[in-house]
Amino acid sequence: MTQSFMTRTVTITAIIIATSLSAFAANAPVGWAINAIGTLTIIRADGVEEQLQGRKTMPLYEGDVLKTDASSQAYIQLKQGVNVALNEETSFKILSRWQKDKPTTWILRLSQGEVWAKTAGDGPKAFEVETPVATAAVKETEFNLKVQPDGQSILTVIEGVVQFGTAFGTCPIRTNTISYGVRGKKCTKPADSDAKAAKAWTSTLIPPSAPVQ
Amino acid sequence: MSSSWSHIGIATLGLIALKGCAEVETVKAPIDIPSRIYTANESSNDVSVIDATTYASLGSIDSKNQSTHDLAVSRDGRRVYATNLASGRLSVMDAGTMETIASIYTGQRCHVVALTNDNKQAWVANIGDNNISIVDTETFRIVGTIPTGKGPTGLTFSHDGKFAYVSTQGDKTVDIIDTATHQIVKSLQVGANPHFLVVGPKGYVWGTNTGGTDIYVIDPATQEIAGTLEVGAKPQQIAFGFKGMQGPNVFVTVGGTNKVAVVPADPKNLKVLEEITVGEGPNGIWANPEGTRIFVGHDKGNEVRVIDTGTGQNLGTVPVGRKPIRVVVSR
Repeated sequence: MTQSFMTRTVTITAIIIATSLSAFAANAPVGWAINAIGTLTIIRADGVEEQLQGRKTMPLYEGDVLKTDASSQAYIQLKQGVNVALNEETSFKILSRWQKDKPTTWILRLSQGEVWAKTAGDGPKAFEVETPVATAAVKETEFNLKVQPDGQSILTVIEGVVQFGTAFGTCPIRTNTISYGVRGKKCTKPADSDAKAAKAWTSTLIPPSAPVQ
Repeated sequence: MSSSWSHIGIATLGLIALKGCAEVETVKAPIDIPSRIYTANESSNDVSVIDATTYASLGSIDSKNQSTHDLAVSRDGRRVYATNLASGRLSVMDAGTMETIASIYTGQRCHVVALTNDNKQAWVANIGDNNISIVDTETFRIVGTIPTGKGPTGLTFSHDGKFAYVSTQGDKTVDIIDTATHQIVKSLQVGANPHFLVVGPKGYVWGTNTGGTDIYVIDPATQEIAGTLEVGAKPQQIAFGFKGMQGPNVFVTVGGTNKVAVVPADPKNLKVLEEITVGEGPNGIWANPEGTRIFVGHDKGNEVRVIDTGTGQNLGTVPVGRKPIRVVVSR
């Protein structure tokens, strides 16, 4: 079972690398959903809904909205080596930002819930998570970000550095620290935190043997 | 010893002074881009560029998006920001090279863009998401969103930058947002399908009820409606200028009558002074810095007319892209 999962993950990685070469192809997947405990609902840009249950693969495209309900979690991989887990009752939209002479930045617009993300592989990544009040911009890091119903955003950095910015300023948040982003304020000064505890919820979602690429 | 130290001290002071000079010398001079007229062309998905002195067409900038609708130009004239309704994206354009250098998703049906007074943020109103996206103009990241009423369509900042005014076509209101807290502090009821908003002389905020026949003025001191005036069906956008000694005046494009209504920029004395007949579908309008010319975009005629505010005469017509919605002029 585990070996099969690893084989599938390696295959997916190869596919993702291949698709990343054609980043601007309109219909190229930007990543893959590869595991769901419960149900992961994917709402395509044209409104069509698809659902993932268990360890299967489903391509993800820019403009997709991913949702989990109160009893579901999911795990996805974006191209360029960005791994993301969705906790229960989480919703985000996959977006991008294009800039001349720079790699495309992939963005998750988190409207509710909690995500864990880890970038891996060679070289820095162009990846950001937006909440209603803040943005976490990362290159090589692992972090957990939770958004409350009022938009308050709680960032815990497990490893590395995250540029955590609100409309009132940006702070670098480092390993084993936590910071809060609130509407109308700069993010709080980082405080010590048990960062590993912050990602405990992902333990059943990502098998320890699964290579986080 | 003491003498050596004093020599070192003098030398150090000298180096500091030299360093200071060097720093002054290394300050980059801003790139000089002559004043230009820009139009956002919704059906050709581009921005037309016109020399604001000679009125010669300089070409167009591909927005790399769909339904280019609104524009804002940075104070130094180097950046042009364009919303794209269908794409939900903000295009960032380099005015020097005349090309799009970034494309940022803000939200569904992004409609208008306004720069904060320090130009460090671009606020974009998203009709489909009922919110404002705040874009950092250095990193191009979305650094926050502000919920608004239904269908935000117009956006401007107060002269002191402490408030943002957002018109909402669904709620028929103008939401006043405290820019220090990002909270709506007041909502004013206005009219049918309020659209365009702009801050004018003495800080009064002027708006059009495009679904109706009137314009309104908000007093920044009281944050109340200071006056309204009937100008004709489908009032669109507003600019400010002079007619010789007379003014400042407000120039309103009136889409239903193909005219520009001229009104004193005094909310206590609102009346139509005159109407300038223009072409079909007047929509975007902007004045030169001196207020002696207005540039009127025609969304049916695909042209910009240069009107002399002193005589109301058309000094020239410049063809632009298809369905020009917004006209702005760099300083």
